[in-house]
Amino acid sequence: MSIFTPTNQVRLTNVAVVRMKKSGKRFEIACYKNKVLSWRNELERDLDEVLQTHAVFINVSKGQVAKREDLMKAFGTEDTTEICKKILAKGELQVSEKERAGQLDQVFKDVARIVADMCVNPANKRPYPPGVLERAMKDIHFSVKPGRSTKQQALEVIRQLKETMPIERALMRLRVQVGAADAQRLRPRITPFIKVVESETWNDDLELECLADPGSFRELSELLSKETRGRASLDVLSLKEVEEGDEKLE
Amino acid sequence: MRHIELEKLRELQRNPSNIRNICILAHVDHGKTTLADSLIASNGIISNRLAGKLRYMDSLKEEQIRGITMKSSSISLFFNMDEREFLVNLIDSPGHVDFSSEVSTAVRLCDGALVVVDVVEGVCPQTHVVLRQAWLEHIRPCLVLNKIDRLITELKLTPSEAHVQIQKVLEQVNAVTGSLFSSKVLEENTDKESNCKSSEREGPLNTLYDWSAGFEEMDDSSLYFSPDQGNVVFASALDGWGFCVEHFARLYAQKTGVKMEVLRKTLWGDFYLDPKAKKMMKGAQAKGKKPVFVQLVLENVWALYDAIINRRDKDKVEKMVASQGLKIPTRDMKHADPKVVLSSICSQWLPLAHAVLSMVCSKLPSPLEINVERVERLLCPHLRRFESLPIETQALKESFLACRSEGSDVPVIVFVSKQFAVDVKSLPQNQPRPLTQDELSQRKEQAKRRHADRLARKRSTSKDRAESSSPAREPGLLTGHGEDVNMEQPGSTDTGDEDPAQCFIAFARVYSGTVKRGQRLYVMGPKYNPVNGVQLPESYALPECPTGMNHLRLCVLDDLFLLMGRELEVLEEVPAGNVLGIGGLEEHVLKSATLSSTAACPPFLPLNLEVLPIVRVAVEPTHPSQMAQLVRGMRLLNQADSCVEVLIQESGEHVLVTAGEVHLQRCLDDLRQRFAKIEIDVSAPIIPFRETIIRRPKVDMVNEDMGSQNLFAIQRRRGAKTEGRLSEDIRVEGDGLVTVTTPGKECTVSVRALPLPEGVPHLLEESVELIRSIEQFNSTLHESQDVSSTQELPENTLDAIRNFKRDLEDRFQGMKWKNAVSQICSFGPRRCGPNLLLNRVEGYTRPSVWQCIENIRCSAGTYRDYDNSIVSGFQLATLAGPICEEPMRGVCFSLERWETRGVQTVRSVSEGIAEVKLASLPSGDEQQSDTDSECGRSTAKEGGSVAGSERSDEGIRSDRYGSCSGQLISTMKDACRFAFQMKPQRMMAAMYTCEIQATADVLGKVYAVLSRREGRVICEEMRQGSAVFSIRASLPVAESFGFAEEIRKRTSGLASPQLVFSHWEVVTSDPYWVPTTEEEYLHFGEKADSETQAKKYVMAVRKRKGLLVEEQVVEHAEKQRTHARKK
Repeated sequence: MSIFTPTNQVRLTNVAVVRMKKSGKRFEIACYKNKVLSWRNELERDLDEVLQTHAVFINVSKGQVAKREDLMKAFGTEDTTEICKKILAKGELQVSEKERAGQLDQVFKDVARIVADMCVNPANKRPYPPGVLERAMKDIHFSVKPGRSTKQQALEVIRQLKETMPIERALMRLRVQVGAADAQRLRPRITPFIKVVESETWNDDLELECLADPGSFRELSELLSKETRGRASLDVLSLKEVEEGDEKLE
Repeated sequence: MRHIELEKLRELQRNPSNIRNICILAHVDHGKTTLADSLIASNGIISNRLAGKLRYMDSLKEEQIRGITMKSSSISLFFNMDEREFLVNLIDSPGHVDFSSEVSTAVRLCDGALVVVDVVEGVCPQTHVVLRQAWLEHIRPCLVLNKIDRLITELKLTPSEAHVQIQKVLEQVNAVTGSLFSSKVLEENTDKESNCKSSEREGPLNTLYDWSAGFEEMDDSSLYFSPDQGNVVFASALDGWGFCVEHFARLYAQKTGVKMEVLRKTLWGDFYLDPKAKKMMKGAQAKGKKPVFVQLVLENVWALYDAIINRRDKDKVEKMVASQGLKIPTRDMKHADPKVVLSSICSQWLPLAHAVLSMVCSKLPSPLEINVERVERLLCPHLRRFESLPIETQALKESFLACRSEGSDVPVIVFVSKQFAVDVKSLPQNQPRPLTQDELSQRKEQAKRRHADRLARKRSTSKDRAESSSPAREPGLLTGHGEDVNMEQPGSTDTGDEDPAQCFIAFARVYSGTVKRGQRLYVMGPKYNPVNGVQLPESYALPECPTGMNHLRLCVLDDLFLLMGRELEVLEEVPAGNVLGIGGLEEHVLKSATLSSTAACPPFLPLNLEVLPIVRVAVEPTHPSQMAQLVRGMRLLNQADSCVEVLIQESGEHVLVTAGEVHLQRCLDDLRQRFAKIEIDVSAPIIPFRETIIRRPKVDMVNEDMGSQNLFAIQRRRGAKTEGRLSEDIRVEGDGLVTVTTPGKECTVSVRALPLPEGVPHLLEESVELIRSIEQFNSTLHESQDVSSTQELPENTLDAIRNFKRDLEDRFQGMKWKNAVSQICSFGPRRCGPNLLLNRVEGYTRPSVWQCIENIRCSAGTYRDYDNSIVSGFQLATLAGPICEEPMRGVCFSLERWETRGVQTVRSVSEGIAEVKLASLPSGDEQQSDTDSECGRSTAKEGGSVAGSERSDEGIRSDRYGSCSGQLISTMKDACRFAFQMKPQRMMAAMYTCEIQATADVLGKVYAVLSRREGRVICEEMRQGSAVFSIRASLPVAESFGFAEEIRKRTSGLASPQLVFSHWEVVTSDPYWVPTTEEEYLHFGEKADSETQAKKYVMAVRKRKGLLVEEQVVEHAEKQRTHARKK
């Protein structure tokens, strides 16, 4: 027969356990599910909404409370609330289902937004709304990789999207100025980096206004600085060349 | 069975005096389409039994399902009255407020209107609207008092009570007409008065001015509806009966021997029948007698209803039928449903179609009687005087009035009021029909030729390749067939490339001349000015479209149709005064247009639209690859609907702007099923916002000192900011000066944000065009680098700019704004918006934006390097603010410091070279043009190239961050955003002004709805001479969705709002507000449970844009679903 009687037993439900190992002991606290991450993101400021109880456990599921000496030894204080806060901040936890879904969803939306920011519909030189891109990303079964940065994933997804829909990187407007000495020599080497030449003036030196893919900007600038030893200039006139204003369909 | 042949109608079209173009107008659900049904049934197009149930004119599936008309459509009817044969072109119009644009299109083409009013509901908002529209278009209305059966069966009124009710409704309608009339008279009087005043200045002043003088001079009795004048029909369209007073007058004249003339005068009004004297006596009301109308007319009707519906007294009914001499088929008499019996008897006893059509033919004008006023109004748009038009154009008035169709000198004038889409399959020339002998032989011939061709081809190919297989020839065969089809139907114009299922038919009327199939006519665009075109020849002779005329085009009329409701009949030619459909205009005409054979014809007055499109939604295809279909579908929709707007927003969203929610629904269905034929997704309505900052408030909402809270807020924000970035890049000083360094550490900019003084943003928004021209001028100046080559702006523009500058200076008052106007370096966003960038860098004077009006021209070289980047950074920042990426408004950024590499970049000539070395810029800038100096370009270039050679090693290092100009753009943008965040931020909501007309008894409800939706009443006044209040309120656009619907529901349709965008208004609450003090905790709870309005808006926008939303996965920990553990 158990020594516990139902009346003096507190049973916790919906428990998310946060653990921390310190000075050779494992400490646990009992939290509510789905709340720990919002505490860490400082969205939730009410500790009682996060902690089920302020007690610190050795094992939550067995209901073993940590001994005071152990706490003293590990944390240097007996104030369990303070200890709970420390464990909450640093401890390891099993991310709950909703939290994980929320995180992935956020990253997914972020990627879509970055793509929308970087790309245009070549037909009308206007960006796609993030909503359209989200759907398109779902259509090509793009799944978020939690480890990689959103920007990397965005670049990846643009490549994949190009196969199913008309989409292109928004071009940068650049101005290239090359001195007379190098102009003749460099002009053909610049060509592959440029998508559209807007204006080109030769008076001894070359002044070129053009649209280029942002991806090739780095290479172009390296080429220019290496070949001319810094005597050519490369100016960004606008980061993103898109159609401005509303257009009436008629 | 139809008993009118097409030939007959064609013949009737030639006689304009016997044509009546009418439309049916009313409030929604007052029985327009049901009435139309009865009229159609009289022509045998649908059966009498179905009349009122079929709603023949509602040809769309949507219309049938919802039970409301959405498109106006026309039908030609034949009517025979007193041996004269009439052609009635009947146009049925929708009554729902969302579709009132369709009413405008219908009214324009008509000469007369039938205004239907439900006697139970009386005058409703749309009744007002349609009466006004009829009035504005100068067309003559007739009244149909409908649903009298409801008084009997639903309200169970006695004949006398019903009489009172009918009188009341009639008075209401006349009151509306009267107010329209009086407003016109007043308007004319004020015109006259102002004229008088100017003339009276010299002479002795005539002080006595009687305001009612105008009314006495003008006779308005002919305008009012009155049964004794025969322009009112009493009807029940559902039961198929209706009568004029005249009908009963004739009846009783035979029976009682009283003269018909007398009876007609006395049957309606305050008369009673003295049975002894057999005389009509006046003053029935005073003497408490039954009015004649009750005794002789209503009681009979009531008796019939009573016998059939209430008592089901077969014998009595039969007796009544016999006494009237009616022949009712026994099948109907024995029908179990009394309604069938009733309508069968009534439609013979008092046939509705006869009553209505005879009123139409006798009271409404024919196209010949078009009045001069109307013609002048149509011909001279945009407030021009008719006399100012060229003489050739004025001469057209005569042909309008004559409405002649024959003769070579008669110009052809046609007005297209709208276009509607039909399936190509349903066009008459595509309907299967028996082939004539000629056609059969032709086909045989063609088939033979094809066969021969094929044989020939086969021979040639088999020579080349013996193994040429049959699939290779198959396509050829198919295309051959396709050509054949095209030959047969030249009119089947396909708007799309591969999907020819829809084609457009223009809904038009011929005002003068005769249009023939294949005729060439000019199409006048709305901005066309006939003064330019009078010398052009008649279009018959013209081979090409005239060059140099922007708003004039030539078109060919491919097909002419007679509109028969949902069917069309092909016509060869249509004479003047008729309504017709024209095919093949979709490439020339967008929505409405004027067609004419002479270029002297001016475009008609644009349609008077009662509602403006306001509901905005974004649409996108469910499958992103179908974007092209969507765009094409939207174009077609725009053409087919007179009230919709479609556009692509800068964000790439495809936006549909519609008049209301029902209209939106229809447009979406059209798009899905007819035009785009793809699945589409629709966003929630788009609501625009602006972001701004305000001066720090001294007192909080709960009247507390703000100091501590502000400090807290700043700390919090600072904390949040430094998280993501390296804190060393950003420095914030106490008074909101933000200093940011580029990642490559070359440049440092310090920016402060200030709220613009009141009135400045508005002024800037008003003068957008001016600012744009200033900017254009400056940029040409900047680029050409040659002062002499820039062209001067015209003198009047310069004047306007000077005024604008003065206005700006007036508004910038106080120490803080000293010299502000001359320090402006840019407007934003898009270089012309309501935000400013001030240059307050000490020692850096860049050429001002006012160069065009200042004589001192700095040479173009005085710009500092990267000035452009600073400005673009500012543009980017103002385009999307930090709160929720909406544009900013009314924010001024002042650039206070700008350093390059920690060294003051105010370079003098002497320092030039050394400076460049220090400022070693990553990829180099050859043309370092120095500030503050007359130093020529050569010096600068020299400096640059020297420096360039020395810094190549460093250049590679800082390349890690990309070019400096790019970095500076984003650094400036960040700096602006942080500076913005340092101030109390606010959202600005777009506001509508909302005009509501409501009667006194629903006023309270209107107020309740307004206040629930954060609306604010601006003014409220009573309309003179009526019990209607007109209320003006402002309402946030964000709260307006469903507002009209709600207010209509709450007030049972008695108040209908009109919403028009008016201005931007700061939402007073802080979107970032959190309770901090004890009292606030008590007030609002720890989490500020009652979200502020601003926060709600911010969250909604951020969510729509896919931005990070601070949202907890689970709000209340304890309220999650519990997964019980097994005990």
